[in-house]
Amino acid sequence: MYSIEFQDVVQRFRRIRERPDTLREVFAKITRYKKKFQVFEAVRHVSFKVSKGEMVGLIGRNGSGKSTILKIVAGVYTPSQGEVTVRGSIAPLIELGAGFHHELTGRENIFINGLLLGLTKRQIKEREERIIEFAELGDFIDSPVKQYSSGMYMRLGFSVATEVDPDILIIDEILGVGDAGFQQKCFDRIQRFRNLGKTILFVSHSTENVRSLCDRALLVHRGELILDGPPDDVIARYEQILKIVQPVGK
Amino acid sequence: MIAFLSETYGNRELIWALALKELRVRYKRSILGFVWALLNPLLTMLVMTIVFGNLLRFSLPHYSIFLLSMLLPWTFFAQSLAYSVESIVGNGELLKKVRVSRLVFPVAALISNVINFLLSIVPLLLLIVVMRFPVHWTWIYLPIPMIGLFLFTLGAAFFFATVNVFYRDVSHIIQVILQVWFYVSPIIYSVDFVPQRYRWLFRLNPLLYVLNGFRLSIYYGLLPSLSSMSLSLGLGVVALGIGFSVFRRYEKSFVYYV
Repeated sequence: MYSIEFQDVVQRFRRIRERPDTLREVFAKITRYKKKFQVFEAVRHVSFKVSKGEMVGLIGRNGSGKSTILKIVAGVYTPSQGEVTVRGSIAPLIELGAGFHHELTGRENIFINGLLLGLTKRQIKEREERIIEFAELGDFIDSPVKQYSSGMYMRLGFSVATEVDPDILIIDEILGVGDAGFQQKCFDRIQRFRNLGKTILFVSHSTENVRSLCDRALLVHRGELILDGPPDDVIARYEQILKIVQPVGK
Repeated sequence: MIAFLSETYGNRELIWALALKELRVRYKRSILGFVWALLNPLLTMLVMTIVFGNLLRFSLPHYSIFLLSMLLPWTFFAQSLAYSVESIVGNGELLKKVRVSRLVFPVAALISNVINFLLSIVPLLLLIVVMRFPVHWTWIYLPIPMIGLFLFTLGAAFFFATVNVFYRDVSHIIQVILQVWFYVSPIIYSVDFVPQRYRWLFRLNPLLYVLNGFRLSIYYGLLPSLSSMSLSLGLGVVALGIGFSVFRRYEKSFVYYV
């Protein structure tokens, strides 16, 4: 049984182009209030299947569509075309700190963040101590989050998200945070998830991480899935692509 | 309707947490804190009583109670609308990070204002006690216009929150609409002051029946007619039905416009 199935998925966005060429056009724009729209296909006919317990790495250049694919899996976007099937609960670690409000304390934010990620009040209460401990925030847990450093902020977000204990974990390039000690803790936790047979979808720019952690890798380029296979092969192809430098969106 | 109830119930913990967060953030950093929820209507009432009460003192005894009985539910409506119009747009970043039920935001905005509203009834009670104004048995009727008010406001909240996502002017337009609506509703004055031939216009105001329900029970000690009662609830249900369907229809695309 597959944890994640993508069948011919297309994701389109409306891209607004506001680029007046001349002063006259600026004037005309204000009076007519007309914007030009372009359809941008961020994800183009992508199909793949992820089995339960697999750890899959998604690599590709910036703007290739990796994060969009993750967001589709996480349910943030509903694809314009195609079918997505996800079996099991999901915890997205995409841009940590979903729902955090800067005026609230770390403790209060754990609560809201936990609820948003699908925990019940009781579950959050049970896990609260562990979350605080893992985040290594000490006393600061009772200070408003606006007083946190960005590292503290991220640690808190990561800590809550991993306590959610989902079937599928989705991680988007956020492992570059924290000092080496904390990074190690993050990896240990991810490893623990693997050992428990959880499915992990992992976006990274660090080919080293992908090589050492993942069973499989997907190479995304300009919205298309170019290669799907063992990390070494996929990374090699990725490195080839990196040599050809071109702006995104052409 | 059923979809609305089940989804709301499923998200109840989150909605409650968001509503409380809204209140907590509103009053953080302030010395008086949530006491403002009580003070605000009192101060408004004080100013209005001085300005209008002195003109109308002759025909309307205990003007402050006359005023407050409609002012409190009105303030609930106006503030709820003001908060919920921005509820989706304001939480845009959240929508882009995590999958969350869209309805959570307008509902939470409403609930936080319901709490504010209930708190604001306290000064009204105090005033009644201080002025030795009778607490009529008709207070029992109050749950009905309250429910009608909440339903109607929620419907309006869903509707305007949706439109605001696509046309951001709405939050500004709402301000103007509310101003006009306030003066067009018989809050500071009584409908009796309006000449007969214009009264039918007033009956077009959907909030009239609910607001009247409050004033009749609190100030006059009377029950409204059966038709008024049913309109209070009926309009609320209709508003919610329309508002929520519109919301539902467009909620999937919010994330792309926010």
